[in-house]
Amino acid sequence: MRLGRLACILVALTLTSATSRADETCQSPYLPKLVGQEDFVYVWTLGVDGLGDGSDKLVTLGANPKRADYGKVVSSVSVGGRHEAHHGGFTDDRRQLWMGGLDDSLIFVFDVATDPAHPKLVRTLSDFVAKSGGVVGPHTFYALPGRMLIAALSNATDGGGKTALVEYSTQGEYVRTIWMPEGAEYGYDVRVNADLNRMLTSSFTGKNNYMRPLGELMKDAEAMKHFGNTMVVWDYHTRKPLQTLAVPGAPLEIRWALQPRHHYAFTATALTGKLWGVFKQDDGTFAAEDLGPIGDPKSPPLPVDMSLSADDRFLFIASFMDGTVRVFDVSDPHKPVLAHEQVIGKQLNMVSESWDGKRVYFSSSLLANWDKSGADDEQFVRAFDWNGKTLTKRFEVDFNDAKLGRPHIMNFGSEDFYRGKVAATDAAQLARGE
Amino acid sequence: MTRAIALLALLAFVAAFAAPVFAHEEAKRARVPAFALPEPGSYELPAIAHVADFTLQDETGAPAPLLDLAPDQVAIVSFIYTRCSDGRGCPAALAVLQRLDRAIAADATLAARVRIATVSFDPAHDTPAEMALLRRAMVPRSQWRFLTAVSPAAIAPVLSAFGQDALPLVGDGAQALGLYRHVLKVFLVDAQGAVRNVYSSGFLSPELLLVDARTVLQSVSPKLAGAAAR
Repeated sequence: MRLGRLACILVALTLTSATSRADETCQSPYLPKLVGQEDFVYVWTLGVDGLGDGSDKLVTLGANPKRADYGKVVSSVSVGGRHEAHHGGFTDDRRQLWMGGLDDSLIFVFDVATDPAHPKLVRTLSDFVAKSGGVVGPHTFYALPGRMLIAALSNATDGGGKTALVEYSTQGEYVRTIWMPEGAEYGYDVRVNADLNRMLTSSFTGKNNYMRPLGELMKDAEAMKHFGNTMVVWDYHTRKPLQTLAVPGAPLEIRWALQPRHHYAFTATALTGKLWGVFKQDDGTFAAEDLGPIGDPKSPPLPVDMSLSADDRFLFIASFMDGTVRVFDVSDPHKPVLAHEQVIGKQLNMVSESWDGKRVYFSSSLLANWDKSGADDEQFVRAFDWNGKTLTKRFEVDFNDAKLGRPHIMNFGSEDFYRGKVAATDAAQLARGE
Repeated sequence: MTRAIALLALLAFVAAFAAPVFAHEEAKRARVPAFALPEPGSYELPAIAHVADFTLQDETGAPAPLLDLAPDQVAIVSFIYTRCSDGRGCPAALAVLQRLDRAIAADATLAARVRIATVSFDPAHDTPAEMALLRRAMVPRSQWRFLTAVSPAAIAPVLSAFGQDALPLVGDGAQALGLYRHVLKVFLVDAQGAVRNVYSSGFLSPELLLVDARTVLQSVSPKLAGAAAR
């Protein structure tokens, strides 16, 4: 399917069709998907003192081999200062990209629609902590119709892991705060399966820990007790918690299966290095299942990000410590099989897969104070082709050499998408209502 | 595509969605939620945004307020265009609204308190006469109005206020195709102009809309709680 055809068919989107069609780096099912070749990769990048301007910035990389800017830095927008740039996400119409700072809880809103090659910072939301009632560390940005659902990491009272979900309108106005339930106070990711009216959240740690140097933190036995060990199953429509699942070891990213009748999700635990499944039971409740180790169980590799292919077959898991991606065949979700393993770099964080599963992008930075040092502090975005068996490198941008900083989350952009451009053959199909 | 053919195509899609025997998986899914509906009033629907009561045009071409709500009423607002050829888009929204219209009309309390507005974001094509044709085809039984604007410039601030995108599509030669890229959205608005919920088609059902409408109305008229189970 060509990108143009996406224009009317996917964008007038239905949740069901979207979830059955595509992942595209595990975006919200409410979001219009880029189903063809992406033109750009937007990289939310941490500033590094003494490197370039030292500020956090949104870096745009060329990703379309048919364009002259393929594999190059197309543009860069500094936001001024360092805020612990981390995650972000598109609004429900994909016209704006909201990017969060885990340190000071600022939210930077970029217009990516007016000129997709040159995103523009149009607004900075500085009221997150005050309006939310003391929530700190906006992490996951998840588009819902008319609003942005934000899963946070911490709170302003003690900097611990007690935290909340916060909703803003797409126009940038605060809507409400939903604190995590008793016994499962920590937060990290949030993902919705609207077919089931269910929402899943996971749990990490508070600001006291995530802003602390990793080596120092790991030696502090007391501090290491303050990590999340739970996932919560919610009624999505009412935003009420239904179940707390025991998933020890800081379950991070959540990926719902995408195919119809695949009523399960995956997560990976950072501290224990395990893959977990969350499966819907016959009675409608959910159960968490330990699916086994990721890498050597004697030396957990700190799995940090994952991407599930649109057909629910391949699950890419990126691990920070060994810089390795492991691709599991999860055709049988209860029995994942390691299909491929490859070292991507000396450290590794995010993995983002194209809608068609043919291209996979990796970035290197985890947190400013958790990244490795010296020669191991590689900072890159590396692009690969995936043929179902092997990953073949296509290009790399060295963020140290380019004096950009530490690259973190990646999102895809396209020129034609925002121009409403439709190829002639697709236009004919659209006119026929196909 | 001529106007008549475009409208016929739209209505054919609506009929497919409304038919008792469904050929389309999406229609099956849209008909009844696959999950238990909550009790009205058992959850919160905080204001997401506030919208003004814009003046548009009704099917006769007369000026008409978009919301026009009494203090004890809510509005369900849906933006469409009649040339839409995507079966999962505007036709699906119209089919859901038609079923909603029947359910509201069958309940005297709701019939007095829930207003539906179908608004075109393509006023250059969707003239009042075109909306009158659509109204005739939908055969509304409740307070269901079909509105358009005097010009594209007049509808632009309405779309902006609601956060409804509508991007005209162009071909390879930059020629206008008469089609739009848009995210299907339906809005629940209270008498103060507060948007209380926004629905996309995967989470769009008459049953859910009614439960939410009752939840909002209960804050004005608690007696509506008793009507929840019907």
